Amino acid sequence: MIDLKDITKVYRTGSQSLEALRGVSLAIGRGEFVSIMGPSGSGKSTLMNIVGCLDTPTAGAYVLDGQAVAGLTFDELAAVRNRKIGFVFQNFNLLPYATAWENVELPMLFDGKSGRKRRERVTELLNAVGLFDWREHRPTELSGGQQQRIALARALANDPPILLADEPTGNLDSKSGEEIMAILIDLWRAGRTIVMVTHDDHIAARSERTIRLFDGQVVA
Amino acid sequence: MNTTLPRFFWNEYRKRRKRTSLITFALFWGTLSILLLMAFGQGMSTQARVSFSGFGQTLIMVYGGQTSLPFEGLPKGRPIRLYPEDVDYLRERVPEILRIVPESYNSWAVSAGGKEINRTVHGTTSDFAFLRTQVPQLGGRFLDADDDRLGRKVAFIGWKVANDLFGSQDAVGRTIVINRVPFTVIGVLRKKIQDSMYNGPDADQVYLPFRTFGQIDNQRFLDQIHMQPREASQSTLIEERVKALLGRKYRFDPKDRYATTFWNTIEDFKQGQAIFKGIEIFLGVMGALTLLIGAVGVTNLMYAAAKERTKEIGIKLAIGARRRTIIGQFLLETLFVFTKGTFWGFVLSFNIVHLVRLAPINYDSFGIEGYLLRPVFSLRTFIVYMTVLGCLCFLSGIFPALRASRANPIESLRYE
Repeated sequence: MIDLKDITKVYRTGSQSLEALRGVSLAIGRGEFVSIMGPSGSGKSTLMNIVGCLDTPTAGAYVLDGQAVAGLTFDELAAVRNRKIGFVFQNFNLLPYATAWENVELPMLFDGKSGRKRRERVTELLNAVGLFDWREHRPTELSGGQQQRIALARALANDPPILLADEPTGNLDSKSGEEIMAILIDLWRAGRTIVMVTHDDHIAARSERTIRLFDGQVVA
Repeated sequence: MNTTLPRFFWNEYRKRRKRTSLITFALFWGTLSILLLMAFGQGMSTQARVSFSGFGQTLIMVYGGQTSLPFEGLPKGRPIRLYPEDVDYLRERVPEILRIVPESYNSWAVSAGGKEINRTVHGTTSDFAFLRTQVPQLGGRFLDADDDRLGRKVAFIGWKVANDLFGSQDAVGRTIVINRVPFTVIGVLRKKIQDSMYNGPDADQVYLPFRTFGQIDNQRFLDQIHMQPREASQSTLIEERVKALLGRKYRFDPKDRYATTFWNTIEDFKQGQAIFKGIEIFLGVMGALTLLIGAVGVTNLMYAAAKERTKEIGIKLAIGARRRTIIGQFLLETLFVFTKGTFWGFVLSFNIVHLVRLAPINYDSFGIEGYLLRPVFSLRTFIVYMTVLGCLCFLSGIFPALRASRANPIESLRYE
């Protein structure tokens, strides 16, 4: 499903350059639940961004679901992000002026889905995360846990096969974090591929496999 | 772009409109200022033209004078008088003249109903109405050829004369006494604005048929002759010919500037037009500069708005927004803001112009308010303004939109 070979990412600022990833190779199969761990600056987020097609590698090859990502245009990458990947961020990244319903609906709008399909899917997802009654609320009117559940619903809007979660419980209390983890595990059991960045060993322990990064390299 | 996206963007815009209120206000204020500036400028220019035509804008007047040069053995200092027969003399010899009328005047007591006032009384013929914009009020008429031919005792009076003698009552058909001779009022001058005059404004004058005037006045020579050329471009040619003909008849040097005096309103109008044009150009430049300043302001605000929304753009890119979606949203929002700001600016300026136009002009003491109270809302100016501002707004919107659409999603997501 996800196949990375010798991925290198170098950030250049003026005359200085920083090698965030150094020859990372890994493969994640369909339906796997993988967590990525490592200290700050180890390259976890950079790896996650490349896997999520939010960033492109400086060198190396990335094949996603049988498709080489390197040759894709900006809009083709956008289409991949829209249909194949769902994102869950540590700080939720919901549109502040949009309601819970609108936030969940947005990826489907970008995909051009019909109004009826959107309504059915948003209703289904909001019910699934237990927030249908909060559909008209804006993010600022929701708790952190509720916001992350809305973000999860949004990530699933176009029913993507891959879910990328970057510290999904990092900004939540333990109860809310547990609720999010429960949903992620349910999604994995339902056949979705989940890649999760975390600092927390207990959280990582709930995944099938843990990849450890250090100084931009896979160490375990 | 999906058809539902514009609706979603409209929805987003409505939620964020407080954030764009400054841009909307800038466009509203700019539209209001420029449209009012142009309306008042054009109104002043138009009023200046109207007041010019109130006197007569295709008119050449010739007065008698005194020679300042010796000519063919005759000394300088001889008075040159114009006589009634000069009218036919010039008409026959100068084919470029379309209309020509004599005019004599004197100051007399004019009385009616126990009221007496001193006014200038003129003797002239029917064509004077065309030359000097003498339009009668409803129910009246100006002097005609029969009045002159038959020497009728009829008078055409200015509206101030009518008001002074008859108040609010209708003056037509009433009798006025001039120099102890009774006259019937046949018409009252319709109110007009007039920036040039001799013997005061036409509102204060009394006009009699030329022949009738001659019966109560013992002055045999004319005070002036009025001429209207067939073509405005022939006015200086007519001046030259009349000068030459009168010089030959009364034996003075045609180059003698003081033997006869000409008042050529066509030439005055040309100069006036240059001033009006200058005013319009000045206002146009002012408008363009205001527009430019406004556009710079709007561009700045649009840029700031785009910057402020960097993170939002990052989120949208992360969940699959295409480049054209981001550009489309920015352009649509620019269109919404532009339409809203300019619409209210247009509505308010249009109403201000029409409200101001309702204010009455004091024709009796025509002053600066006469120029200011008749602004003109020009559709052409509005279309030009909307086109230019629309292009500037489009440019103001497209650059931040392009910048936003090219943003790296990661950097945008990190932006705080």
